[in-house]
Amino acid sequence: MEAIAGTGARSIHKAPEEELTALESLQFTDEIHLLMAAPPDSSSSFTALLELSAPQAVELLHLPESANLISNDSYKPTQMDDFKGSLHFPTDIALIERAARLSVFAGESNNKHSNSEKNSAETASDNSSADPEKAVKSEPAETEYSQPSGSDPTVHKKSVKRKEREKKAKGSAKKSKTAANESSDDAEQLPYVHVRARRGQATDSHSLAERARREKINARMKLLQELVPGCSKISGTALVLEEIINHVQSLQRQVEFLSMRLAAVNPRIDFNFDSIFTPEYMQATSLVDSNFPSMVMPVMWPEAQVGGNRQQCQQQWHLDILHQPGWEREEVCHNYITPENSLLSYDSSTNSATLHSSQSKMEL
Amino acid sequence: MASVISNPVGNMNSDRIKRKKKRKSLIKESQQNQSQNWKSEAQQQIYSSKLIQALSQVSLNSPSPSAPRGGRAVREAADRVLAVAAKGRTRWSRAILTSRIKLKFRKRKRARASPAVTAALVTGSNRAKKSRVSILRLKSKSLPAVQRKVKVLGGLVPGCRKQPLPVILEEATDYIAALEMQVRAMSALAELLSGGSAGSSSSAPPPSS
Repeated sequence: MEAIAGTGARSIHKAPEEELTALESLQFTDEIHLLMAAPPDSSSSFTALLELSAPQAVELLHLPESANLISNDSYKPTQMDDFKGSLHFPTDIALIERAARLSVFAGESNNKHSNSEKNSAETASDNSSADPEKAVKSEPAETEYSQPSGSDPTVHKKSVKRKEREKKAKGSAKKSKTAANESSDDAEQLPYVHVRARRGQATDSHSLAERARREKINARMKLLQELVPGCSKISGTALVLEEIINHVQSLQRQVEFLSMRLAAVNPRIDFNFDSIFTPEYMQATSLVDSNFPSMVMPVMWPEAQVGGNRQQCQQQWHLDILHQPGWEREEVCHNYITPENSLLSYDSSTNSATLHSSQSKMEL
Repeated sequence: MASVISNPVGNMNSDRIKRKKKRKSLIKESQQNQSQNWKSEAQQQIYSSKLIQALSQVSLNSPSPSAPRGGRAVREAADRVLAVAAKGRTRWSRAILTSRIKLKFRKRKRARASPAVTAALVTGSNRAKKSRVSILRLKSKSLPAVQRKVKVLGGLVPGCRKQPLPVILEEATDYIAALEMQVRAMSALAELLSGGSAGSSSSAPPPSS
């Protein structure tokens, strides 16, 4: 599919190539060679890139962003003027796209390598298959030169393009320089080098997967940091994890203390259902909602039974709950009443009778 | 003319953007609906009511031989109710609910193993321990700090001992929120019970021994 697209792209571009080659390529190669010879080896990454290849410079100059880049260096405006004076750059997107693809072939008037042409054609076709606007915009901004990876180049590059389109951060000048040095050699052979990843980032499929994994982990760490108080100030994964561990341990200890406290209070629960529940539910204003069927129970319960056996009390309590018409309103409880009962009353043999009775009632 | 032509394109783009935003917001909403909101009052009330039911079922006076006693039973009951409130969507909730079954299974397994076999295992492991210790001491500092802490965190969150890092982080997020809700509910319940029982102690019947 890509071969067909490649050939299609190539066939399409041969026509404009004939049109514009005469004009632009001549002007391109002459002036740019002059410029390439002139500039010293500066520390600025953009000029290093300018040394590289005409086509890339062309792409860079199309964008206003690149104009900002240019303005940073005093050397650049003169270049711009020269370029603009000599060549009338089209602002139309289609023409820009064609020119970009053209620049692929323009420097290759030598037709040295069919392989490189193939690669560039494939990448050009990838650009065309993707959104053409975005392709043009992303290429100049992401001026990272890296060797095309062998395994699954197109798929990974497309996915990377989608990711990196949003991130237009610039990597270190060092990396771009070394990459530029690499591609300066390549430029003679490969006029068009893959520009997919962020500046300063490798486009290896492994590193892409690694980056995706890291982003996932970082997103989850962020959520955790927001949850744990005092973690947003801390920087560094180890310290944040330490804080999270401390927080979880403190919460578990709190639960432990509260459960001991409840256990101390618990013996009273069996005997003081009425006295415990009615003041409890009256005091808790939030529980005044009628959503809770168990609310009705304590009111009814003292009327139903005065005192008596604990087992009997519990049985009555379960049955009363299940008889409540409002029970079905609570979807949550309804679905989980059976497993909940089975799990919660797992060890108590006295509760087996209640379990069976409740299950039979549930079937009704 | 150019403006007329470009306008529909512009409109299409804005429509596409709006549709994308709507889709994204819908997805986000559905995601929020799927995961429980542990901060909501309703969730706390559900938990409190279930906890009361469970606590009443916990038999403190005459526990069966396998059941834990006192505070530990309350703690385990509270954790189980929390796991039920989580509706089993998270790993830690499922691990809590199945931990009891696994405990019983392991106890049966140990009972089946004969004492002779266990003695042989013990001596064998003792002999292997010596050689193992020296190797372990050499390797004890090899794990980087972050990975060590991740393992500790995995040990704290139930059911996440052997999970990869992103899973542990996700589970920890939900677990911390659930724990905070549990603390809130239990403290409120303890306050009410201790306050209620103190208030009604005069009318309470004497507890039978």
